[in-house]
This record gives sequence, C-alpha cells and structure tokens, in this order.
Amino acid sequence: MCDWCMKHGAGGKWYMNAKNYSNELAEAINAREYLQEQWKAFEMVYIRRIMGITSIDLGYKLQLPIIGRLLRWSAERMIHSEGKHRNPVRADGHFGQVIPLEEAKIILGNLAAEPIIENYCMCRWMQRGIKEACCINFGLLSGVIEKLPRFIPKDTKYRLDRDEAIAHIEEHNKKGYVATVWFQPVPYINAICSCENPECGGLRLRNDFGLHTVYKGEYVAEVDPDRCQACGMCVTKCQFGVLRLVQSLKRVIVDINKCFGCGVCRHACKYDAIRLVPRENYPALRGVY
Amino acid sequence: MFPKKSPKVVIDYTKCGEKGQIDPRNCTKCLKVCDPAIFILHESPNMPIDPVDPKYWRITPVWLSLCNMCMKCVKVCPLGAITVSR
Repeated sequence: MCDWCMKHGAGGKWYMNAKNYSNELAEAINAREYLQEQWKAFEMVYIRRIMGITSIDLGYKLQLPIIGRLLRWSAERMIHSEGKHRNPVRADGHFGQVIPLEEAKIILGNLAAEPIIENYCMCRWMQRGIKEACCINFGLLSGVIEKLPRFIPKDTKYRLDRDEAIAHIEEHNKKGYVATVWFQPVPYINAICSCENPECGGLRLRNDFGLHTVYKGEYVAEVDPDRCQACGMCVTKCQFGVLRLVQSLKRVIVDINKCFGCGVCRHACKYDAIRLVPRENYPALRGVY
Repeated sequence: MFPKKSPKVVIDYTKCGEKGQIDPRNCTKCLKVCDPAIFILHESPNMPIDPVDPKYWRITPVWLSLCNMCMKCVKVCPLGAITVSR
C-alpha cells in the first residue's frame, strides 16, 4: 500500500475513499480558489519562474551537482505539498496515479461528485496543439473549467451523466489511453484523465525526469504463456515500452519493474492472455510505485 | 562533473508568436512534428493577461535535454523561425 493510501485511504486505496470526493472536503481546503487560479493560466506552469527557476531545460538542471539534488527535493515537496499555503499556479499538491478501467468505472459510477464534464485535455493542447476531449473532471472543478472557453468542446455535449462518463472512459481506454486519477490539490480528487505518453505533463515529468507526478498503479500485467499466441498486438498498445515479443519463446514478456498497471494491453489481446495482478503479489514490487 | 549541455532551440518571436505574422495556435506544426514533444504552447507572458480567454500565444522549447537535433522542426516551420544549435 502506498503512502497516500495510508494517509487518505481510510484503510483502502486513496482513490476509493468517498470522502476525498466530497464537496465538504473541497470547501474545507478552499479548493475553488485554488482551482480557479491554477486553471486560468495552466499552460504557464513550465514557463513561470518558481523560486527563480523555470522548467526550461529541466533535464539539465536536475543533473547538476548539488543544485540538481536540491531542485529535485524541492520539486517533490511542491508536488506532494499538503500545507496551508499551497501555490496554485505552480500546481502544488497536484499528482495522480494510474488506474485500470474497472476502477475508473467504479469512480465515475459511484464516487465522483456531480456535475461531471468532459473537456479538452490540457496537456495535449500545450504540448501538441491538439484539442481532444478526453479529460473527465468532476465536483468543483467542473464549474471552474466551464468558465474557460478554450477547454470546452463546442459542438458536442460536454456535461455527462454517470453512464455517459463510463462509456467515454471505456472508449478512451480501448483506444490506448491510460486512465489516471488526480489529487488537485491533495486530498481532494476531481479528475480522471486519459493520458498518453509523452504528451501528458505528469507522465513526462515521471518518465523523463523521475519526478513523482504520476504513481504506478496498484497492479501489473501478467501474460499467460499457454494462451499467448505471439501476435504482438499488445506490444503496439503499451505506452511505457514494457511488453516485448520474444520470438524464441513464442510469447510476450512483461518488464514488471516498468509496468504501470494500466491494463490497456488487455484490450488488444484476442486470446485473453493478459490479466492484471496486484502489485503486492510480487514481493520485489511491494511499496514500489 | 557537469552534465552534458542540451541543444539550443531558439524561436524568433518577431516571426512567430504574439508579435509575429501568424498565431501559433493556428500552426502548431513544430509541436506535432517533434517526436519527444519538447515544445510548449502557452500564453505570452509579455502581453496583458486575459484570465478567461487568452488572445496572445507563443511557443517555447522547454524540454531541451530531450532534443535529438533531428531538425524536423526547422524544416517544417513555414516562417523559418526555429534554429537548433549546440
């Protein structure tokens, strides 16, 4: 179990605790003000100076001796901040975790606070100039984003009921997008994204710079060697380069150290050979997120 | 001791951006051609801020350490506004 489950999970997974979705919690931590400030200029998050330093050429800065370690330490502290004076424009206390489709459906069907909206993905907009409606936001955040026209799809229905939200997340997941659930700010949960690597700002910082903006999921993929027909279709779906088709074995192998447990590979398998197993089943992976 | 210097990717903002000939939101060719996605499209910091619907945008190369100097962005830019150097 991860640290955030201990703190905010009420004995289970943090994102399965109904309290973290409630309007009462949002009010108690002043989430509306935070979200308004954060979202009105979200695209500036990497450009802004934070303690005199911008994210421009972050890869170089993080490798510098001493300064790099200090920078990494303060970045991690910001990402996970639970303090009273969190700065919204640098997204303090904003991080997430990869979840499989089944859990995303439970969240959207039962836990998410209404209203639920589907807006244009911030990350794809700022990193690729693409407007794709695939971010499902709920609770207080819906009202905040609705006031920002650049994120609201024009010709389609963007307010969703629970069944529509479930249908949409399933569609995105089957397309190959990774479902992620987000604290914004911790411990208030108000978004399920359908992320793509490297366009996602969170996955970029995690995979390219090792910052814990996105945690790996509670599961890892496991291939049944008897069922696998070595077609390699799952390999084309993995966003993290975890699966490999080994010709000599005539099956696919999984690098579970790198697996995020999103389960997207399962949708590509015609032979039902891939399943998700809890990360905890592997002693070496316990507590490694 | 010191890490390898990242490539320098520079955008000429007299050609592209809030004072340039085209609105980068209508082009975004460099953002799409770049495999490691090193560019960020964002509001221009030098212009009056519109918190609801920003009108002035520019592109900044941010993740420079991931640049492979493939020069695809230089070739694709219709204004010749991008230069990549060591």
